[in-house]
Amino acid sequence: MTRRLSAGRIAILVVLLLADALTGFEVYRYLGAHTAARLFQPQKPTDPGQQHHSGPIAELPGTLYLASEGAIYRLRHGDFGLVLPAGGWTQPAVTPDGRSLIVVKRQFAFSDLYLVSSGGQIQAQLTNDASKRYEFNDWAFYPRVTPDGGTLFFDWDRPKDLQATYNVTLKVWSMPLGNPNAPRRWTTPVAYTGGDVQPLPLSPTELIYTRYFRDQQGNVHSELWLTSRPDLTGLLPGHALTAPEDDCSQAALSPDGKRLAMICTHGGQTTSLEVASFDGTALGPPLTLVGTMQAAEPAWAPDGSGLVFLAPGNLAGDFQLFWVRVPVGPPSGATTPSGPARARPGPSPSPPPAPVQLTTNLDFDATSPIAWHA
Amino acid sequence: MVAIVLVGLVVSCLGGALAYFAPALALAYRATGRTAAVSLPHPAGRASSAATATTVGDRAFTVLLLGSDDDQKFANANGSKTIVTQSMILVRVDPVTRRAVMLSIPRDLWIQLPNGAYGKADQASEFGGPPGATAAVEQAFDIKIDAWVWVGLTGLIRLIDYMGGVDVVTSQPVMDDYYPADVDSKDPYAYERVAVLPGPQHLNGHDALQYVRSRHGDLQGDFGRSERQQQVLMALKAKARYIKPEDLPNLASTFNGELQTSMSLTQIRGLLPLAQAFDNPDQIQHLVLLPPYTTSRTIDGQDALVGNWSLILPLVHQYFGYA
Repeated sequence: MTRRLSAGRIAILVVLLLADALTGFEVYRYLGAHTAARLFQPQKPTDPGQQHHSGPIAELPGTLYLASEGAIYRLRHGDFGLVLPAGGWTQPAVTPDGRSLIVVKRQFAFSDLYLVSSGGQIQAQLTNDASKRYEFNDWAFYPRVTPDGGTLFFDWDRPKDLQATYNVTLKVWSMPLGNPNAPRRWTTPVAYTGGDVQPLPLSPTELIYTRYFRDQQGNVHSELWLTSRPDLTGLLPGHALTAPEDDCSQAALSPDGKRLAMICTHGGQTTSLEVASFDGTALGPPLTLVGTMQAAEPAWAPDGSGLVFLAPGNLAGDFQLFWVRVPVGPPSGATTPSGPARARPGPSPSPPPAPVQLTTNLDFDATSPIAWHA
Repeated sequence: MVAIVLVGLVVSCLGGALAYFAPALALAYRATGRTAAVSLPHPAGRASSAATATTVGDRAFTVLLLGSDDDQKFANANGSKTIVTQSMILVRVDPVTRRAVMLSIPRDLWIQLPNGAYGKADQASEFGGPPGATAAVEQAFDIKIDAWVWVGLTGLIRLIDYMGGVDVVTSQPVMDDYYPADVDSKDPYAYERVAVLPGPQHLNGHDALQYVRSRHGDLQGDFGRSERQQQVLMALKAKARYIKPEDLPNLASTFNGELQTSMSLTQIRGLLPLAQAFDNPDQIQHLVLLPPYTTSRTIDGQDALVGNWSLILPLVHQYFGYA
């Protein structure tokens, strides 16, 4: 027996069907909106809502330059501004007068150093590392200007090892900032280690850098090395500031030149940010400021009161900006005659200040040193 | 009337959820439970036990992780593709003690292949795919492997990108002027220059692959690369704890044929809580077969590693048990 549906019943049926369809769609949409992957999407420093920050980040003095996803940003009083748009830019270094930056532009098979105004105008290309012959492309990284502003130190993979083409190593070079045609090689790295990196010039004739080498078991270590003479033969003039087992790198000298911040792994897969007194030839006992946070790229505040650094700071593990105050009068124990005997970091008399996270959802390049000018 | 409305709502909810999870279910059907027995022509030859694995997760078990590209340069004369496993990592997990051991098998290790001849370990998968590689490893190391998992290179890139990248501390500059550019390039024999800078960093899929795959600039060659592979695996595991069931469909489309395993869905489901329990890197021990466990030799014109089996087998049996 059939029964004719009234118009009202048909309307109810249609509404129910629509409601069911809508419910199914909403369930689908709800599930899609609750993936973990959505939590992993960082923002750009100049995205709406990210440009201005209040709180501790706004209290940082001077101007900081940071790299993120191929772009260079300035941070001043809590405001982010774009200096160079995305295009392979990384590792900014600021000149002592604060008017210019030396920046790496990284491309597919090579990278070059550029002199750029602090406003982002390209003024000069300092290296020319592109080659039509694939094997003659070069990498240039880690620019750093001497305190007198006259000399640029940087990493280059020149000269090539033509006898062993698999042996590609970075060497520390220098050149007068006004004369890019007079480069001078400073180091001869250990083969098949990746080379010597992160030059930190104390003067045009004195240099700290990170040196990679192998121990007798074949394990790779890094150490901070101090030298005052270019090394073209592998005789390795100078001496170590840190012990091989400490695996330290990324040295940053305080504005008064008396303290050195560094990143150490102690052979593990986590890093610690340590600070030690520096008398010009050796380091004192280090103080561990930040441990187990994967801290990277420490940079001193212009007044020497503390350090900014990068570390994973969100679910995705993107590197965020952190600040940590450096206690006045860091450990001042007797300095060791040479680095390898450097004391292991020990417990400080009072717990070091807790680091403060300054950004939450950005994505800074953790292999790009932070430049900071007063 | 109310009952009809409620039933309709339940059905529509289930329908929405089913539509959402359909890609994951399809992948699960295609990629899991890939069991195929491969027998070795050895006096004591036996079928790969991974082909008949029953339980994984309620007792100590061993999984063989395989990573490889599968591009056209490995095509046979008849056009069918073969797989050379550039990465082979044995993982032993003990759910009771909550400890794990990872052993990287050098790709150049000279072992008996499933076809009876001797060759490099990475060639074993040419004879029967991952089950063939599993059988060869079982025989060479005299152990029982409960399951295998194979991930293609592009699958690894997509997985890392989907998870927002991984955090690793790169131990040194990884420089390689002859890194194979066979993932993005149309030329499977193309090279590219690689420079992975040292220190803590957040790697996307492309950069992470360069880090784990490059070996020319490393004096320890494949050994150094093995350590880097274990490092990135640990970083991936750290990120995996954030993955939710809602991510499964996206992960399914992310892999798109770049993931295969002998484990069944039931076995995988049993492993998920266990994975959550391993949240401390110290729970996982890493082993690499450096000299004196292996010695470099040239065999049949190939650079190979000859195993010092009198040293290897006791080490392996200590951590992975016997067959």
